[in-house]
Amino acid sequence: MTITARNEETVDVLIIGAGASGAAAAAWLSEAGFGVLCLEQGFWQDPSKYASASPDYEFEMLTNWAIDPNKRQRREDYPINVENSPVHPVMFNGVGGSTILWSAHTPRFHPSDFRVKTLDGVADDWPLTYEDLEEYYDLNDEVMGCSGIAGDPANPPRSPRQMPPLPIGSDGKRLTEAFDELGWHWWPSDSYINSQRYGEGRDACNYCGHNHMGCYQRAKSSTDLTYWPRAMRSGAKIQTGARVRRITVDENGRTTGADYVDAKGNEVHQSARSVILAANGIGTPRIMLNSTSQHHPNGLANSSGLVGKNLMFHPFAMITGVFPEKMNTWRGPLSNFAMSQEFYETDTDRGFVRGYTYQFQRSLGPAWVANGGFTDAIPWGENHHAELEKRLGSMMGMAVIGEDLPEEHNRVELDPEITDADGIPAPKLFYTLSKNSRDQLDHAIENAKKVFETAGATEVFVDPMMEQSGWHLMGTARMGDDPKTSVVDKWGQAHDVDNLFIVDGSVFVTSAAVNPTPTIQALALRTADYIVAEREDLKG
Amino acid sequence: MNRLIPAVDDLPAAGDMGLAEEVLRLSDEHPRYSALFTAGMNALVEFSGDFLTLSDPHQDSAIRKFESSNPAEFDAVRTLVYIVYYKDVRVHDRIGWESRPPQPEGNVMEPWDESILETTKKRAPFWRKA
Repeated sequence: MTITARNEETVDVLIIGAGASGAAAAAWLSEAGFGVLCLEQGFWQDPSKYASASPDYEFEMLTNWAIDPNKRQRREDYPINVENSPVHPVMFNGVGGSTILWSAHTPRFHPSDFRVKTLDGVADDWPLTYEDLEEYYDLNDEVMGCSGIAGDPANPPRSPRQMPPLPIGSDGKRLTEAFDELGWHWWPSDSYINSQRYGEGRDACNYCGHNHMGCYQRAKSSTDLTYWPRAMRSGAKIQTGARVRRITVDENGRTTGADYVDAKGNEVHQSARSVILAANGIGTPRIMLNSTSQHHPNGLANSSGLVGKNLMFHPFAMITGVFPEKMNTWRGPLSNFAMSQEFYETDTDRGFVRGYTYQFQRSLGPAWVANGGFTDAIPWGENHHAELEKRLGSMMGMAVIGEDLPEEHNRVELDPEITDADGIPAPKLFYTLSKNSRDQLDHAIENAKKVFETAGATEVFVDPMMEQSGWHLMGTARMGDDPKTSVVDKWGQAHDVDNLFIVDGSVFVTSAAVNPTPTIQALALRTADYIVAEREDLKG
Repeated sequence: MNRLIPAVDDLPAAGDMGLAEEVLRLSDEHPRYSALFTAGMNALVEFSGDFLTLSDPHQDSAIRKFESSNPAEFDAVRTLVYIVYYKDVRVHDRIGWESRPPQPEGNVMEPWDESILETTKKRAPFWRKA
């Protein structure tokens, strides 16, 4: 490709991706006086135009606001070859990234999650501890705004939450009372959804149930509403519609900026003193693998050969119960109003290592229910109306999120044929579910059936592994102390390139059994603090 | 459409409710659905010839063949029919569904009540120290 334009100004820090982690790093660095520019392939969203206010919202949910980019097919999305992956990744490309469409469930890793090799003899320990991250978890909670309540016996003590928990509802109580009866743990989820007004112009949740299409109410925290306003007040800039083709390097192999395609199709070079990759666990290795050079023949900062390897997803199982009475289960956030970590920590008597979290789920409206929702579609023909009547307003779900351990054969490569709209090679995924993960999910399914039986459900549906559940993209540029077995160090700095940092889920060593975003953002803040404290040389 | 969603109570079957035009409109709104819907209609014609002249059992049989041999296309057609049917105010009236999008009105829920944590709070911490 021929570069047709060059941005003459050299920025201190060029961030690739304006989502959860890129926004956090941008705010911290710009407030510390670094010149920050972010390249984002998508665009700003206007919450007042989110489709939850459209009469066609149930169609929009499956098309223009689908969580799967292969189904959404916006120009700013890139195709992902999933022929060899039973789990399909879901994400959003735009300012705010996947926090636009996420469920905003925000549990933290447990201390044991950072020590899986020491404690359980599997995978690797992280080069940092829970205690190293704790202050950053707290800082992130404050910026994003956390509804919840301290005191969960399944987790270490934590600071008071910014807001009280979201309501459990009469439907949720059916599940929580069953857990109580079984003697199993449950706790209201930490959630970055406002239970009361919090933040700049952000209202309380009005329980519409559709924040997975973007939150019209601005009650759900997304980084376009939280970190980015702070960052921009401190001088950070975002170039939207800018799709990065490659990171460029100098004669010593250090980064010099990035080549990108702008919204008009121009090939542009942006020079920078440092680069932070924040394009998620698929987008980041995609860019690195496409950034080959004399110094980095196998992809940028890839002397370990591990860029793209060890892809972890968190395979989900979904168990749905149908109750005999109407509970209006479409009211309130669809996902994650409460969780159980009864089976989180390793108990080898269960036949597997590590564990899982249950996330409690609700249901939605008639077309969603008719088309299956978390179950099979309601059959067409004579039984259609009776089945709809049975399920609408009466279904509750339990999603199982098990710890996915790293395996090198699970990976992201560049597709030799498929490209995005700008001709950049698409990612191609290779993923198989391990026996340990399968055993976790099967154990969880059997216990979930006990919960629904105890709660009085009359019918139970099981999806043993949800296809469209690849929310959590982790492990593809892992951190560690040894450059031979990791891509970045404990600060997120590439071993091979001292002015390249990674702050998204790519750096995860293991995946824990919780949603990763608070951990991703805490790591991003920690990396930013490191740059502020130790890398004054990156300031122009 | 009549075979997918038959008549119920005082409502005619989906095809007799005049919804076909809306199904066609929505199918044209997104490239993925447009392609699948068109391919699906072509496949159905292949299986059935003139579908509308078939008896009800033969129509059902043709649909079942379509469903098993072209699952993606069938899924798109069924999804569109269900979406259009369940956004119709006559259907909402019958099933007791409030006829409006989720926003801006939202819903009302009972407020958070901490007393439901009474049982869990009695439990000693059981997270694993590392």
